[in-house]
Amino acid sequence: MYWEKDIETMDRRELDSYQLNKLNETLQLAGRSPYYRSLSRREELNFKEIKSIEEIKELPFTTKKNLQDGFPYDFLAVDLKDVVRLHSSSGTTGNPTVVYHTKEDIETWENLIARCMYMTGVREDDIFQNMMGYGLFTGGIGFHYGAEKLGVLTIPIGPGNSARQIWFLRKFKTSVIHILPSYALRLYSFFNEMEINPRKDLNLKIAFIGAESHSEEIRRKIEDLYGIKAYNSYGLSEMCGPGVAFECPCQKGMHVWEDHFYMEIINPDTGKVLPEGEEGELVLTTFKRRAMPLIRYRTGDLTRIIPGTCDCGRTHRRIDRIKGRTDDMLIINGVNIFPIQIEMILMRIPEIGHNYLIEIRKENYMDRLYIKVELNEEVFIGTLFELEKLQVRITDDLKSELGVTPVVKLVEPSSLPVSEGKAKRVYDLRNN
Amino acid sequence: MRYQLSIFMENRPGKLEAITKILAQNNINIRGISLASAGEFGVVKIIANESDRAYEVLKKAHFAVSKREIVIALINDTPGSLHDLLKNLSSNNINVEDCYGIVLEEGEKAAIVLEVEKFPEAERVLKANNITVMSDTEI
Repeated sequence: MYWEKDIETMDRRELDSYQLNKLNETLQLAGRSPYYRSLSRREELNFKEIKSIEEIKELPFTTKKNLQDGFPYDFLAVDLKDVVRLHSSSGTTGNPTVVYHTKEDIETWENLIARCMYMTGVREDDIFQNMMGYGLFTGGIGFHYGAEKLGVLTIPIGPGNSARQIWFLRKFKTSVIHILPSYALRLYSFFNEMEINPRKDLNLKIAFIGAESHSEEIRRKIEDLYGIKAYNSYGLSEMCGPGVAFECPCQKGMHVWEDHFYMEIINPDTGKVLPEGEEGELVLTTFKRRAMPLIRYRTGDLTRIIPGTCDCGRTHRRIDRIKGRTDDMLIINGVNIFPIQIEMILMRIPEIGHNYLIEIRKENYMDRLYIKVELNEEVFIGTLFELEKLQVRITDDLKSELGVTPVVKLVEPSSLPVSEGKAKRVYDLRNN
Repeated sequence: MRYQLSIFMENRPGKLEAITKILAQNNINIRGISLASAGEFGVVKIIANESDRAYEVLKKAHFAVSKREIVIALINDTPGSLHDLLKNLSSNNINVEDCYGIVLEEGEKAAIVLEVEKFPEAERVLKANNITVMSDTEI
């Protein structure tokens, strides 16, 4: 049941000293990147050897904003010729978050995913259908190479097209899927329509669900509907992608691979490190990343370290389900969106006014983004045709920026609520 | 210039009423009205006895309102009259963008409200074909 038994069950004290060595390596490596070098010049970061892992508290945080400001190459710690791939956020608001990989980074990541998959029981004779998005997004590609590394027949089908998904599931007797939890629920309604019972008519046994936060109830529901085991997966492109933390068969939290990452939970307001068990922001430091080592990276994800050891025998500590975000980032069907992106697009369109409202609802298990925009009374032309054209234009502009198709509603000028002070424009109604 | 008001409106109960209320409060008479909707929103077109004032009061109440130039043709309330009118326009390659009609006197007279691409031309064509076009004061 272990992909790398020595590492996964390493004695805790041994793991701690392993981490200290790795942290010092990362510090040396990071010192080669222009960003961390400049921190050291300003005496905000010291590259002298750390004697105890506790001293990591003295090091400065790295934020998403730092990464964006450092676009494109300020965080690169190797020569460009040694970089073989980049992944990037879509954001055209400011700079995208770009993450680079050397060949070694890619191999390390592959191995990490293979470790996660093997842990849940995936073996060479399985058939793996990867329904996660490929491309700049790390979810699809990360699992793809990990599965191949493990030696599993991998179907790189990507997301969507439910009829085709079901055809592949049946014809190839797929046993393992990687899927957005919301899509798993939506896909189930197609089975109903086609009068297929996934419990009886398919060969499925395992689903990896991730890229969006979901409740324990949703997981149990997916397991029940499909008659499978569903495992929670956590990752972020800044660390590599998926594979940072993963559930074992005990399904009691996700093991953070502590030979690859150092984790801390901090109070997001004060930056103070919190004791085990308390909820706060997850902060990660990379140990093995070559192209782009990161020190104390603030993930923005809220969780806690689960105290105690796991029955599976792994010594790597676990984190709880992600509870939410410290910033205003929205995750809509797995796609990360900042409200400011929506605002920027809207404000470029003269036919609409300054007030707008964002609503996110759950419909048929999928997230649905609604955007209400007030018409600009000064620029109204007066025909229905122009209004319909405007509605399509706003929808298209937002879709190409966000990668998500919103439902755009035109409303009368001055009809949306105007709040005192900081306007509340985002209403997340998914849990209602 | 003869014009009607074109007002953006959400397609929900009470929305049309909000417009008629403002006009009523300002003692403005509605001479013609038509409504076109595209699902959740629509455009209401209103011919008012005092167009400029109607425009001002709606604007003041923050409606998205615009002035649309129109031609109002008087035709007989008989079979084929509208057909003749439209034939005159189409044979001169004048496209009708919006059109609605009001019977003024049963069996006698009807008014056809037209938004067209080419205004002076449309009026010229209609007059040349002995179709009466209403003036500002008549509205």
